Parts: sequence; C-alpha cells; structure tokens
Amino acid sequence: MAQASHDVGGRSEEPGERRVERNDRRTLGQIAGIELDPSKPAIVAESLTETFRLFHEQPGGLKERLYRFRRASFTDFNALEDVSFAIEHGESVAVIGHNGSGKSTLLKLLARILPPDEGTVTTNGRLATLLELGAGFHGDLTGRENIYLNGAILGLSRGDIDDRFDEIVDFAGIRHLLDTAVRTYSSGLYVRLGFAIAVTVDPDILLVDEVLAVGDAEFQQRSLERMQTFRDSGKTFVLVSHDMDAVRQMCDRTIVLDRGRVAFDGPVSEGVELYRQRVASGAVVAAPRRSDARKVRIEDAALLAADGAPVTEVLPSSALTLRVRLHALDPIDACNVAVTVLRGDGTHLYEVHTIWQGLGVGPLDPGQEATVDVRFVAHLLAGRYSMAVSVTDTSGRETWAVMADAVRFAVQPAPGSAGLVDLSATASVSEGPARRLGDSSSSGPIPLPRLARRRARG
Amino acid sequence: MSGELPVDIQVPSGPRRAVRGVTGKLLQLWRARELLAQLVRKELKVRYKNSALGFLWSMLTPVLMTGVFSLVFTLIAPIEVPNYPAFFISGYLLWQFFQNSCQGAIHSIVGNGDLVKKVYFPREALPLSHVFAQLVHLLLALAVLSPYLIYTRGIGVLLYLPITLAAIALLTVFASGMAMWFAGVNVVFRDLQELFVVIFQVWFYATPVLYPLALVSDVLGDDRFARFAWLETLLAINPTTWFVELFRTGLYGPVTATSDGLVDGPPGWPDLATVGGAAGWAVLALVIGYVVFLRRARTFAKEV
Repeated sequence: MAQASHDVGGRSEEPGERRVERNDRRTLGQIAGIELDPSKPAIVAESLTETFRLFHEQPGGLKERLYRFRRASFTDFNALEDVSFAIEHGESVAVIGHNGSGKSTLLKLLARILPPDEGTVTTNGRLATLLELGAGFHGDLTGRENIYLNGAILGLSRGDIDDRFDEIVDFAGIRHLLDTAVRTYSSGLYVRLGFAIAVTVDPDILLVDEVLAVGDAEFQQRSLERMQTFRDSGKTFVLVSHDMDAVRQMCDRTIVLDRGRVAFDGPVSEGVELYRQRVASGAVVAAPRRSDARKVRIEDAALLAADGAPVTEVLPSSALTLRVRLHALDPIDACNVAVTVLRGDGTHLYEVHTIWQGLGVGPLDPGQEATVDVRFVAHLLAGRYSMAVSVTDTSGRETWAVMADAVRFAVQPAPGSAGLVDLSATASVSEGPARRLGDSSSSGPIPLPRLARRRARG
Repeated sequence: MSGELPVDIQVPSGPRRAVRGVTGKLLQLWRARELLAQLVRKELKVRYKNSALGFLWSMLTPVLMTGVFSLVFTLIAPIEVPNYPAFFISGYLLWQFFQNSCQGAIHSIVGNGDLVKKVYFPREALPLSHVFAQLVHLLLALAVLSPYLIYTRGIGVLLYLPITLAAIALLTVFASGMAMWFAGVNVVFRDLQELFVVIFQVWFYATPVLYPLALVSDVLGDDRFARFAWLETLLAINPTTWFVELFRTGLYGPVTATSDGLVDGPPGWPDLATVGGAAGWAVLALVIGYVVFLRRARTFAKEV
C-alpha cells in the first residue's frame, strides 16, 4: 500500500511514548474492536468471499420445506470472490464498479451487516455507515423523537444526542417541524434529517453508499463539504459511488470491483479511467440486426482505415471511412444516408446526414447498387463505439432502411491523455523553468507497460 | 523514527478470539441498552399515540375479554371459582403480556427489513423491544386493575406483591427467549406467522387461565376420564402453566379442589417447586432462544 505511506509518516509526528503505551495497554474497547487502536490499519479485509443463494422459487416456508425436502432448486453466485485489501487510518477510498459488481455487498461486510462466508474483516475504530438515510424512522413519531430513535440505532447515547441536538436540527433545517410527525415531511426533508443525524455520529471510519446524490443542490453541496471536513480531519472514509466527480473530489484511492473481484486498487485518476472504459465496453448495445428495407436495402457497412483495410480497433484520432453499400429495390430519385456514432453505453456522440452536406444518393433503378463513403476523423479516446446507418427520403420523413449496429469499433487506450474526446492538447511552460520527465508512454495516466500487461491478461 | 510500529493484522485465534468475541458481544449488548430504551419508547408512543386515551384503548381488550369469559363461565358453563372475573384477570394479564410480546416480536425482523439490511446494530434489540414494551403495558394495566383485585381478594394482594413481581420477572425472561426464537425462525419460515395464531389459540386453552389447574386434576381423577390422563401431563409440561400459577398465587390465591368443590385461599407464598419450575423454563427458553437467534442473526441481512 504505497499510497498509505504518507499517512503513516504524518502520524509519526505524535510522541512515540504515547503510542507505545497505547499499544501495550489496550483498553477494553480496543480489544473489542470498537475503539481506535492507531497501531493497526483501519480496515483489513482478507480474502473475502460472499455467496448468495438464488432460489429459483422463493422458499416459502415450513410447509414447502417439508414436502419438497430435497428438491429446493437454487444456484449459488459469488457476489464477492477473494477480495483482500487494507485501508490505513486517514485514507479516503472509493469503491467503484458496475451495478452488481459487489460494491454494496462489500460495504455491508465492512459494516458487519453481513458476515463474510469466507475470509475476515477487521475494523479498528468506531465505525458508522451511511447506507440509507432515515432508515428506521417511524412515520408516526415526531422529528424530535425520531432524532433520538435514529441516533440510538446508529449507536449514539441519549447524552450524545442531547449535546448535538441543535446541530442536527440546524443542519437539517427542520426547527419549525420538530414536533410534527415525520410522515408529513417531504422526502427531501426526510433524507436531510437522516443525513444530519448520521454525520453527527462522529466515527473514526465512515462508510458511505451513494447517498450523496440526494436533496437539492444546496444540500448536496453542504453534505459534500461535511464529508470533506470529515476526511480532512484525518478520519478514514470509504465511499461507494457511481458519481465519478464525487469520487475524484473526495478520494485519493480507488478499488475497482468487477464481478466480485478486485480489478484495480490504486490512485484515483487511474481507477476512474479504467472504470470508465469498462463501463463503455460492458454495455455495448444489441447485436447487429438488419431491418427489412422498403425501397432500399443496406447491403453492407464497413469501417476502413486510411489504407483501405477494414478495422475494428483504432488509435485515437485516426482517419476512418465508413463505406455503405446500398441496393435499390424500387426506383429512387434521391435518398439521404444518415450515420450516427454512439458510445458503448448508447450516448449519442455524432450524427451526419449526406443531405446536410447537400448530397443525395440517386437516382437509382431497381437492382442498382450505390456505395457511399463517409470519411471522418475519430477524435475519440479509449472505449467502445458503434455506428448506425439509416436511409431516408430527402425530406427525412420516410425511413427506407435502418441498420442499427452497422459497425462496431474500439479505440485503443493511448498514453498522454484521458477522458472521452481527443482534444489533442499539448502543454508547454511559457514562463519559468520546466523539466522533461519522460515521454507520455511512461508518465501518462496509465503507464504503457501496465496497459500491455492488462491486455495480455485479457 | 523508531516508533514505526509493525502493522499486525493477524487475527487472534483460539481462546483469545473467543474471549474477544464474548467481550465484544457483551460490550455491544451493553451499548445497545440505549437503543433498546428508544425502541421500547417508540413502541409505547406509537401504541398510545401520545395520549392518555390511547392507554385506555389498549385496556379495552382485557376488560372485554374478562366480561365475556366471566359471563360464559359463571352463567352458561359455570366454573365454580369465587370471583371468577378476578380469577380470570389474574391469569389473563400475564397471558396477554406473553402473547403480545411474541406476536410483536415475530414480525420484528421481517418487518424492519430495511433497517436490518442497512444498519448494523445488535438485532436482538428488535424482538426484545416488544417484550419490554409489553412489560411496561402489563405493569400499567396491573396498576389500573389492582384496586379491583384488592377489593375482591383482600390486602394480601399488596403484601405478596414481591411474588407477583417475581412471576413477571421470570416470565419476562421466558418471553425474551421465546420472542427471539420466533423472530429468528420466522425469517426463514415465513409461514410461522400464519401458524402463530393457531399455535397461540391452542396454547391459551392448554394453559390454566380460564380454569384452575386444580379442577383439571379433580376431573381427571374420575375413572371415566382415565384415558385423558395425559392432559394433566401436558399441562404440567406446558411452561406457561408454571408462570400463570405463580402469578396467580400472589394476586388471587391458591385454588384447591375438595369434595365440596373448588376452594380458594387468600394470596400467599407459592411452593418452591412452582418457583423452580418457572425459573427453569425461563433460563432454558432464554438460552435456546438467544443461541438460535444469534446463529440466525448472522444472515438476516441476506434473508430479510
């Protein structure tokens, strides 16, 4: 854990004596693992495996169990497989991955909500979880009563809550509604109250699951600031999120999960980039399908490199040609060919129609063929993309042929930049000294040797 | 600096781990008392809707039941016990405490699925909160009804209050065990809550609440009913029999069968066997219930 070393260094400024003493005479709370023991990492996960049993029919109960004693059919699937890592005190770590990659399960294991089927989790320090805000609120109780109830669920004593009561109320902004049943609160207010209580727990380790994305912009800002204050005070912070901006802003280390395994564990910029590429490649839209043409048929579409050879994998900003062959079924005066470029996850990136450039295809006799070349430069960065082709009449009212997933291509990762679009930036120092530290192949966001290794692994 | 301590991430094994586990569990339980108090408060508040009238509403059931059963068993099918209403209520209050505790607890994990899945806290707080909320309710109900009992059964009701309280304490322990058992098992076998009503209906009649235990032995002593002798054994095995008998000794007094029919005595001390039986069942239920619950509780978050 190289990235943890600065924390250890930071703490070593503490008087050594005190640390030794603490280590020798551990308090009851430290032994029980609920009080902070600074000599050990905040969280240690060792080869965690969590298996879920998916019953094909819901195992209703006693009756079913009795009469279909041996026939319960199920499949086991591992939500987590052999996951190990250690998190030092003061680290802020983001866990990212697709839906179903095991992020939330991991968080539940760390929070002790679920026991691991294999492996161990050791946490060190007071731990609080923000998995759901306002879980445990009772609608018939007033705001005041729910503050005490929810606080108790999160492990706060009555005295703790008394001390922080005003802080909670002001943060949530519910002073005028304190004695109203929370059932009448708006959902935003409900969540705000939940958050306000949760953050007063003041733990040593905070686990957060995707709850930052609630409430209005102002509240989001405030909660983000609250999290940052927490992080900056040297506490340990684990965030599960799909919001890459929040991840970049809040964390300095990422663990990328892919189908229950740790795909990456390291600096945030690299992890986010990797995740982005995986998302793009994982969600490629449906397989190619030719629709029946009415007046024209799209015979074929191919992506060609500058030298005319068909390609499926290109470098950023390559010059490409999409060659579309049309076959007329009816007499056509003129038609329009439209090309759309989509990112793997379906995001619409670019669209061009021949008619926009003043070009119509035709006239064509039945049986006659035409070949249309669309030349473009793929100013794209690593990821998977697809192109759709359609043929319409010149006014664009009638669609004569559609080929949804006409070609697919991948842009290879390249050193030197990261993101979605290749803006071909170059940097220079116009004033002041500068040093050359190496070329982009070694100092880029993902060093090339590692890329090569990853590629080799598949 | 030399103070750089080695990072020791070894998991303690063997006895050390066991000690750590027990310490942790006990510490957690101790820390959870606050949560338990809040949950009990919630149960009571929701139940009484923050109003005095709310409490009166919840007294409606025992009062109505006493009325109905008194009519049936004094007029229609007489059980010749003096002050039948006092006799009935001195068993029914305890029974109601037990039944309502279990009834609340059985839904407590399944019904709080969101909470169980999203927050870590000692899960036993959920079923136990129902037991303690019902306990508060029992004590309130007892306070309200005691003038009637003192009026009909004499000042002994007050003198032998420790017996009554001891019976309540023992049943609280027993009910805690049962509540945890029901709550834990219901997570896997959801139809348990459907069976619950039937189970408790039968259990109610198998417990000497409506009738005195002495009457059963008396009736079964008759040769004509020799083949029902197992009924007496059943009643003796039934744990709730012991608690009701103990409770009733201090609140109503012992009932004995003589050749002249049933004879009641004033409230008095129970015999040691009754206390021992009740205590034995209480400890047994708590241990089994808690162990089953803890084993089940590990995977609640998956199964709820």
